Amino acid sequence: MSIMEYNGGSVIAMVGKDCVAIASDLRLGVQSLSISSNFQKIFPVTDRIYVGLPGLASDVTTLHEQFRYRVNMYTIKEEREIEPQTFAQMVSSTLYERRFGPYFIEPVIAGMQRTPSGSYEPFIAATDLIGCLNFAKDFVVAGTASSELFGAAEGLWEPDLEAEDLFETISQTLLNAVDRDTFSGWGAVVHVMTKDKVITRTLKGRMD
Amino acid sequence: MPDGSFSHPQQRSFNPYTENGGTILAIAGADFTVIAGDTRQSEGYSIQTRYAPKVFRLTDRAVLAVNGFAADGNMFVKKVKQRLEWYRHAHAKDMPLRAIARLIQTMLYAQRFFPYYVYNILGGIEEDGTGAVYSFDPVGSYEREACRAAGAAQSLVQPFLDNQIYFKNQQAAPGQSHPLHLPLSDVLSIVIDSFTSATERHIEVGDGLEMYVVLAKGRSAQGLEGGRGVQELTTRTDGDRVFVIRRELKKD
Amino acid sequence: MECSFAITGKGYVIVAADTTAAHSIIKVKLDEDKIKTLSPHLLMAYSGEPGDTVQFAEYIERNIRLYQIRNTYPLRPSSAASWIRRALADSLRSRKPYSVNLLLGGYDTSTYTPHLYWIDYLGTLTEVPFGAHGYGSYFALSLLDRYHDPEASLEEGLATLKRCIDEVSKRLLVAPGRYKVKVVDKDGVREVEI
Repeated sequence: MSIMEYNGGSVIAMVGKDCVAIASDLRLGVQSLSISSNFQKIFPVTDRIYVGLPGLASDVTTLHEQFRYRVNMYTIKEEREIEPQTFAQMVSSTLYERRFGPYFIEPVIAGMQRTPSGSYEPFIAATDLIGCLNFAKDFVVAGTASSELFGAAEGLWEPDLEAEDLFETISQTLLNAVDRDTFSGWGAVVHVMTKDKVITRTLKGRMD
Repeated sequence: MPDGSFSHPQQRSFNPYTENGGTILAIAGADFTVIAGDTRQSEGYSIQTRYAPKVFRLTDRAVLAVNGFAADGNMFVKKVKQRLEWYRHAHAKDMPLRAIARLIQTMLYAQRFFPYYVYNILGGIEEDGTGAVYSFDPVGSYEREACRAAGAAQSLVQPFLDNQIYFKNQQAAPGQSHPLHLPLSDVLSIVIDSFTSATERHIEVGDGLEMYVVLAKGRSAQGLEGGRGVQELTTRTDGDRVFVIRRELKKD
Repeated sequence: MECSFAITGKGYVIVAADTTAAHSIIKVKLDEDKIKTLSPHLLMAYSGEPGDTVQFAEYIERNIRLYQIRNTYPLRPSSAASWIRRALADSLRSRKPYSVNLLLGGYDTSTYTPHLYWIDYLGTLTEVPFGAHGYGSYFALSLLDRYHDPEASLEEGLATLKRCIDEVSKRLLVAPGRYKVKVVDKDGVREVEI
């Protein structure tokens, strides 16, 4: 019995042309018994950052609260919103603080990063449970369906997808991946972010 | 103990199995079947060879892919081929595909308590001229399907195939339905994409790709004959035909 | 074995828990109340390691009461759930964690809505339309998937709960004998007979 697979659940994030997307399933289970079909694992951090927290459900809530506290403190002290890159480092150090008694979560971060010229560029990152950062250029995955997500995403993703096409790509990747994982599924949620707005859609998928 | 006494408990063990990585995959069309496998053979983090075929022509209408423990796989293919030869001597014809499938199940189950540590995928043409794929577990449970991936990268490839072959999670345009079978060129593209993806993300998959194509009798080999890296393996004329397409997989 | 169920309906939450207190294979008490009334509109069914359960439940009960004394108003169900979850999550990484599973049912008097929270000893918290703990959950959840109606009247809700209890009694080898059932709605908390 692995703690990382105790509650089940998966998250994926993808980069598109001037947009990013992050998506997850909605299952919460206790090993093979499903408890909830509406357990959110993705949380807004700022207007331009979302974080996905697949892993032990107790730590999903604990870390969400921890990040909310630290981001609020940052915003008050700096008198500005945190940037995705900075937030990723915050996630990393928060996890590494517990190096020898870790939170059982592998976070995925998606956001729009402000550039020196004032425009925005897509940003994604993921870490392992002790905070080792992975800044990928294409997509990042985590959770019990990670190998299925890697395969599906590697086959479906292509560079410079427009927001609507990115939505279709990440949705198909997630749905087909979780359908081959017993611990993930039971509905899905997708957020697609552009420089000025976020579109959130709840998907209907297989409920078995 | 060295003094020959039995005062201390002792334990010995010998593990007769290992895993040799790699991935296989087969897709059935209306009148053709594609059976593919990579050619890397590994044990742990070491590559034993970059060219060890996992896909074998059995007859002009049947191709077998074996994945798992390579020694068991090779031995199993050898025994299946032997049984098919005996069948030819007895009946003066090749064994039909569905009969080969049942033969394989019997041979696997015969070893129920010391199994061949191998996942088999049999592809080819049925007697009615349709493409068919049969997939097996190591002890002989089997099923006819339209597509199947097995091996190290099964978990990466199968969701992609569900989406692209079975059109899972896709809704057909209003008034239309999804095709039951795809054309050969589409299937070959999907197979190549699958292995390219698996090579990218799985360390045990790579080096070479061998795609066997079995064409039903009378089907044109348009676009196959004379293609890059294509070789025909058919033994008799005016029957089903077997081709193999060899490709390199990405090096980095 | 210990079983607890809870379901939401139109303006109410029903919470039910068995009433046996066991020491290994011996039933030592048959009328134990395992549902605490934390505040005028909040119920908590608790189960788990004997000893831990009562100790933890009383700790929660008194702190929720303290909050009400200090602030005149009690915590709303969602806030109470978060606070209780945090107590369990902190306990999980302590020297001696509490092994207590909870069903928290409450009626939010500000929004006039019923809420039910499923909480386990790890500090897992999720809001659910219906929930269960113990071996009974394997039967009750399947039945509730089929028969639960968020718009059901109290009578219909109690009938659905009875189906769950009857099924557990019929099919679970180690089924408990009696249950205590409590309801929370706009009028507060009360016990009902089934």
